[in-house]
Amino acid sequence: MDHSPSKKITRRQFIKGATAAATFPLLSNKIPFYGSLAHAAEESDLVIAKNGSASQLLQAAMVPLGGMGRFVKKGQRVVIKANIAWARTPEQACTNNPDLLSALIKMCYDAGAKRVAVWDHTCDNYQFCFSRSGLKETAQKAGADIFSGHGRNVYKQVEIQKGKKLKTVEILKDVLESDVFINFPIPKQHFATELTLGLKNLIGIVWDMEQLHRIGLHQCIADVNTVRKPDLVVMDAIRILTTNGPKGPGKTEDIGEVITSTDIVAVDAYAATFFKHPKTGKPFKPEEIQFVKNAYDLGLGQINLSKVRMKKVTAT
Amino acid sequence: MKKAIPYLRRTIQALSFLFLLYLVIKTAFPLEIKIPVDLYLRLDPFVGIITILTKKEVILRMLPAFGVLLVVFVFGNFFCGWFCPMGTTIDFFDRILFREKKRSKEFNDQPFRRLRYGILIFSLVAGLMAFQVMYILDPISLITRTLVIAFYPPAIFVFNNLLPQVQSFLPKNSFIASTVPMPVFKVNLLIFLFFVIVLALGVVKKRFWCRYLCPLGTLFSIVSRVRMLKRFVTVDCTHCLKCVKECPAGAIPETNPQEYRQQDCVSCFKCLECPPKAVSFRFGLPRWRTVTGVDLSRRYVLGSLAFGVISALMIKANPLQSESGLRNNRLIRPPGSLPEEQFVSVCTGCGECLKVCPNNALQSTLLEAGLAGLYTPRLVPRIGYCEEFCNYCGRICPTEAIRPLPVEEKRLYQMGVAHIDKTRCIAWDTDKICLVCNEQCSYHAIIGDDKKRPIMKEEKCTGCGICENKCPVDGEAAIIVYASGVQKKLKLEDVNNNKIEVPASPAKKERSS
Repeated sequence: MDHSPSKKITRRQFIKGATAAATFPLLSNKIPFYGSLAHAAEESDLVIAKNGSASQLLQAAMVPLGGMGRFVKKGQRVVIKANIAWARTPEQACTNNPDLLSALIKMCYDAGAKRVAVWDHTCDNYQFCFSRSGLKETAQKAGADIFSGHGRNVYKQVEIQKGKKLKTVEILKDVLESDVFINFPIPKQHFATELTLGLKNLIGIVWDMEQLHRIGLHQCIADVNTVRKPDLVVMDAIRILTTNGPKGPGKTEDIGEVITSTDIVAVDAYAATFFKHPKTGKPFKPEEIQFVKNAYDLGLGQINLSKVRMKKVTAT
Repeated sequence: MKKAIPYLRRTIQALSFLFLLYLVIKTAFPLEIKIPVDLYLRLDPFVGIITILTKKEVILRMLPAFGVLLVVFVFGNFFCGWFCPMGTTIDFFDRILFREKKRSKEFNDQPFRRLRYGILIFSLVAGLMAFQVMYILDPISLITRTLVIAFYPPAIFVFNNLLPQVQSFLPKNSFIASTVPMPVFKVNLLIFLFFVIVLALGVVKKRFWCRYLCPLGTLFSIVSRVRMLKRFVTVDCTHCLKCVKECPAGAIPETNPQEYRQQDCVSCFKCLECPPKAVSFRFGLPRWRTVTGVDLSRRYVLGSLAFGVISALMIKANPLQSESGLRNNRLIRPPGSLPEEQFVSVCTGCGECLKVCPNNALQSTLLEAGLAGLYTPRLVPRIGYCEEFCNYCGRICPTEAIRPLPVEEKRLYQMGVAHIDKTRCIAWDTDKICLVCNEQCSYHAIIGDDKKRPIMKEEKCTGCGICENKCPVDGEAAIIVYASGVQKKLKLEDVNNNKIEVPASPAKKERSS
């Protein structure tokens, strides 16, 4: 141990430092996206990984965020909300990429997760969705449980305090009670809401999905997202569906990207640019997607990508 | 050895029933079982013969039934006493519910004996006229239908309510799975009542149903008359009448226990428990000879014949079965069904398709299709829709009333066409964005206009009913599927934007924009 006088901290230095240390987190909470600065290894808030296999992409995309260890601690229960809504095959890009799901589950277990569950409230019959999408086999091989929310017993009624239109909603109990909640969406074209993105993916944790259309879909999507903010968003943009969404089959496009973030609105704002506006032919602006705008207005995240610390990485 | 026979018989009966139960339970997703789940129905020669008569063509999957007839020719009517799951059920409840002493002894069954022959003649004649409703009396069809419609949903209900209780004992960390979707059937109480009546008839006479009504048993009886395995009684017989009392089929006449009615004997071998050991069974040449047969007068036979013919004609002249304006356009038949007229005469109403349907979309009719279509399946989209990649109902239909189509072909079959009720539709009636129907449609048959209101593309619609099922409007949906008359296969070109466009490999293709 070195006790040389030059390295000793003076009282003044100590007070300065202590005050800074105490006030900085207080301040930082006021500024969006800097809330979790305390984490050492984290470099950015939105990571886009390109070039590589599904697992390489995920690995690369998680490093700048601080690794999976930042989100999943030893012995925790993890819930992944995947998109298995339709009885389609993986190459049709209407459901998640099985390789990526497998990599994600394994990464959670490597970080020390006790149990990982994959959930979705499917639109088609869950048995056909699970088998045709190949995701049941994938999840079970990777050691995770896969569940479908077709029974009302797995939901819990909650009040939405921040909700503008939706005041009460039945949400999957596991989503509410799990230690870590990962949103795992796949971006798709969607006729009614223009696009299906991360925010819309969370409609699949709601019991009475169709009723949201009666109340006002765009606002409901934003309202539902206030119930439990995902700890991590992993967007599967390896292949996206650009026409006939969300059920497809339609034209697909190989983007080959995996986007990770803690900010669901920022992810959606970025993913919206993959798609072209049907009228103008130009890529969508995030504000043009009503539910993304509504979520931003509710303070769920940052819609302006220039205010987000974005990092592009190459997996290989 | 001889004492073991009743136990052996009871064991086989129980196993046979449990096997049927197992098959019925296995009649569900993913349907990968090697044994055909409709095995019992395929072994049913009554269904086999009537289907051939009504359909005028041999159905390959029904051929095993004729093997059973051959076995009956050799061993006599063993089926009713040893294998029939309905007979097992009746025997089981008979032991619990009724006491032999309480049954009226002086029951003269002579007028009843010919009842089932009348039913069989009626069925055969009506079958020739391509009309059939007697399937509701077929024991195999009856027991599967009762199990599927009357007993399966309550079992699921109990299971679902016990599940949370069990799960509360599980460690806290475990995830809780969803309950099993409970199927619902409108006609369940009727089916249950009919089943209860069949059991309750046992109060009059043991196995009343089997002796006097069952058409399958009658068919076996007729073949059994020329049976090769025969009962012989030696002169040691002391007329103790033990065998007369024991015989569950009442095949041994009280006046002359040395004889027996071959056609009624169910080969249960109970009469082998003879105190002087006078009874034995041996093989002999077939002979059409019997004692005190059933009194089938010419008048009775002709009467049954005429009744069958007239009933069939009545059904054909019924507005529901003819091209009248009363045709029920909400009566959607399962995908790949035969044309309506043929369908109602070939469908046995066994309920297998109701069980296998993963979405509970198939429902049993009551009188929606007329009396001829009693207990036939129909698609009720508000309860469940037809799953695009499922062809289970066709795969398990024993009589091929729903044809076994490959999935790729089945999904192009048009059962009906959806129609939007613009006065009730959320998008048309209010300015809200809904389009659930567009989102759910597998065939892109519903598109949105510039104001995001749904518009039908009838040529692409198969009538699967997912739109009607998911429509968020309260009560009756704002989009309703109407039957399209005769089912037809849509051309792939019409639904061609549904064609799967798969780039060669995700790795090879670069991002195009």
